[in-house]
Amino acid sequence: MATIDLSVTPVREANERLRKYGADGIDVEVLNPDARHHIGVGLTHPINVHIRGSAGYFCGGLTDGPRFLVDNNVGWGVGDNMLNGSIVVNGNASAIPGVAIRGAEIVVKGNIGSRAGQVMKAGTLLACGNASFMAGYMMYGGRLIILGNSGEKVGQDMTGGDIYVAGKIGEMGTDAMLIDLPAKERDEILAFLDKYKIPFTGTFQKIVNAGKKLRYPKTEPRRRAIPFFESFADNSYWNAKVQEDIHIKSQIGRYRIRGYGAARPMPHISDIAFKKDIRIGAMTDPDVLSKVHMKTEVGGRSGANPLKLSMPVMIAPMSYGALSKSAKLALAIASRLSGISENTGEGGMSKEQREEAHQLIYQCLAGRLGWNIHDMQKANGLEIYISQGAKPGLGGQLMAKKVTPEIARIRGIPAGIDLRSPSRHPDVLGADDLVIKVEEFREATGYRVPVSVKLGAGRVRDDIKIAWKDGFDFVELDGMQGSTGAAGNEVLEFVGIPTLSAIQEARDALTEVGGLDMPIVLMGGIKDGIDTIKALALGAHAVAVGTSAIIAGGCIACLQCHAGTCVTGIATQDPEHEKRYNIPVEAQNIHHYLESVRWQIAAITHALGYSDPHQVSRDDLVALTPEAAAITRLPYHPEYRERDQDLRRAS
Amino acid sequence: MCGIAGILYKGSAAADARVGKALIDMLDACQHRGPDSTGFSLYRDPVPGHLRLRFIVGDGDEARAAIERVKQKLTEFQAKIVEEEHKGSSFAVLVKFDGDLQKFAFEMEHAAKLSSIGESLDIIKDLGGAFDVDNVYKIDGFKGTHGIGHVRLATESDVAPEATHPFWATGFSDISIVHNGQITNYYKMRRRLEKQGYFFNTDNDSELIAVYLADKLKHGFTLKDALKTSIDDLDGTFSFLVSTKDEIGYAKDKLAAKPMVKYEDDKIIAIASEEVSLNRLFPGRALNTSEPAPGTYDTWQRSISA
Repeated sequence: MATIDLSVTPVREANERLRKYGADGIDVEVLNPDARHHIGVGLTHPINVHIRGSAGYFCGGLTDGPRFLVDNNVGWGVGDNMLNGSIVVNGNASAIPGVAIRGAEIVVKGNIGSRAGQVMKAGTLLACGNASFMAGYMMYGGRLIILGNSGEKVGQDMTGGDIYVAGKIGEMGTDAMLIDLPAKERDEILAFLDKYKIPFTGTFQKIVNAGKKLRYPKTEPRRRAIPFFESFADNSYWNAKVQEDIHIKSQIGRYRIRGYGAARPMPHISDIAFKKDIRIGAMTDPDVLSKVHMKTEVGGRSGANPLKLSMPVMIAPMSYGALSKSAKLALAIASRLSGISENTGEGGMSKEQREEAHQLIYQCLAGRLGWNIHDMQKANGLEIYISQGAKPGLGGQLMAKKVTPEIARIRGIPAGIDLRSPSRHPDVLGADDLVIKVEEFREATGYRVPVSVKLGAGRVRDDIKIAWKDGFDFVELDGMQGSTGAAGNEVLEFVGIPTLSAIQEARDALTEVGGLDMPIVLMGGIKDGIDTIKALALGAHAVAVGTSAIIAGGCIACLQCHAGTCVTGIATQDPEHEKRYNIPVEAQNIHHYLESVRWQIAAITHALGYSDPHQVSRDDLVALTPEAAAITRLPYHPEYRERDQDLRRAS
Repeated sequence: MCGIAGILYKGSAAADARVGKALIDMLDACQHRGPDSTGFSLYRDPVPGHLRLRFIVGDGDEARAAIERVKQKLTEFQAKIVEEEHKGSSFAVLVKFDGDLQKFAFEMEHAAKLSSIGESLDIIKDLGGAFDVDNVYKIDGFKGTHGIGHVRLATESDVAPEATHPFWATGFSDISIVHNGQITNYYKMRRRLEKQGYFFNTDNDSELIAVYLADKLKHGFTLKDALKTSIDDLDGTFSFLVSTKDEIGYAKDKLAAKPMVKYEDDKIIAIASEEVSLNRLFPGRALNTSEPAPGTYDTWQRSISA
């Protein structure tokens, strides 16, 4: 057995050694842990690790296979997202023990803290003592066994899984109910207790989901789809869209859900123009691509391997789930062909997507759906999603028709529910907790992979400062014009701030704290290379395109993304619909579109007299509307409107 | 957004207890929760008929002008300076004074930014980590029976000494708090207290807790009862510590959103955001700690005989 003494070895080095011992199959004893955080994070080998004392936050987090024994207490999030293996804690566990576990066995001999087993998917969490507030909060599967008392709000918003309580049951949580305990399950629990040599002779009460909140009571009646562009083309007070909304709401008695982003007119990047009278098109130098330097690195500011983009453009995060596997593959192929990055979105990483995309960002949401250590280690970038521009402050939505058995398996959730992902990370309730979370990700990936944060534009000025202080490698900032696969219409239209305001506030905030070294990737309504350069000049380091990429790949913008019946095979999980999607053809289409973006970036950069789009600055811009001028503090020059329109037509 | 720590030595352990060093160690251990600034509430031996005042005066000409204003104001109140000290960005005085404290405090506010007033209380806070602040103010050697401290990660308000915790309840001798979390009914509660004539030194939501508790104590509540009502009256997420001349206490919100761990034996009670801070006091030892339950509070008295 090897020994690591934490009184002389920093945790980072200790974890590297632990991983080496793991690969060699050597058991390890950890001395003087003194409640330090992140002990054993990222281990993927089935070795025994004996921690002689207390461990801090995320002990044994993001692991697969090891067996930990902790002599005393553990801090927040013991066994975070653990796949296989076990953790036995002889003392107490702090808040969110067993958060997001996917098969592990977590045994706590003492008491457990609040929100035990939050968003757990599979495996067993056992407390020999009492549980605290909201045990089993939002759990999707697995079992939570409490030999003591349950605490208040037990089973709050649980979707699946089983909670067994031997002691007193406090107030039941929303949508949880008590049922009789099947004798077989009692035997299974006793066998589990026996395995860990825990004597017990009592009996249990069982708590499960009551099933009242899993589905919307009424689905929207089918109508002839009015495409996005048609729906909102007419801005008159009572238009076809308004009328349709009223009719449908009269049937379902709630808000409507739709795909796409904010459609009402608001200040946008298209209200900004270049100050110089530039022409691109037939007259442009055919060698312009070789004359403009467009390679862009993102994410290396703290020593991680940066993403290396052939131009300052990424594919925006969209999930497998919201989109079909075919559509995701087309995006992955196109990203490779164009030398830019693809992003998994919420629903986990597929093998095919990983193989096709050469640079892939792996997104972590509050529900930890499809999240696991192996894919983290395969990723080229990690992204902590706090919120998105289409619905700031809310989690993702995936309607029942798209929650197929396969999607449910990847995400670790019950099939056929109207999935409303949690809006708040279990372990990030403030900037202080976020610091510890980011560090966990870095430990799990050996500090090689950049860690970014995605922010929906709300209180951008404050959020960006927090992102900078918490040491993120870059920020993906998503404005109100950003689209989604499903969100309440009111949220889409009325929550958040426009992309243009977002970049301005971000730039101001970073200037204020001296943090301009942290790159911003701007998204939310970026249509082409013209928008890209304007975004760069306003302070972004790169942009990400989502809506425009899927339109290039065949989307007809019918707004029915949420319904799961997408006729183009993009936003659907129905094999009959997906069959229509021709992956190689659409991948080429998306690639061609991306190359047109590249050409525009080069041509405009060159026409403005620069050799790198990052050289374009605010001095090259004017505002076309008083609103855009007020937001950006650019000079107001409406007379440039015509030239801006010419530029768009010509390119 | 922060880390908090507090300690009280009991009985004979209180004699010669190195509160300053204990707080530095605990705060350094959780500095990852707040690298921007660090602060300490220390309780010095009271001198009968005297008050300690500490101001944040900045540096250079700004400091000289502020100190001048402070001295002028003290003269107006016939508060005679017995000792004075200008260190870092702060200026501290011990004055002979026996008038109306609240009026005095509110007036002194106009001279310079007040950090604390008390017979014992001395709030030392500045930018940087626990050791940075110690380097300037020499807290390591400080002995006392109890104290609280805080590390801050500024989110909404500025990175500035005056926005750093602990917060003093302006106008009330010797009460201070440190807080981790966010008070969401801040403006409502602040307006309510301002109508009663209370003065707020900053726009930081944490200051509200200090003033709220001071108001309760003024109305005859025990500290324990004041903490009890705070759990219902304050909305949001909070784990906070309060200290007075003779007591420390904690309260934790009903949602259990912010961490708090405590360790108690017959010599000390120590409370911190994370166990890693408590373990700094006992390296290499497995501590028998516990987590206060959501919606709970408690207080501990210092042994007066010590």
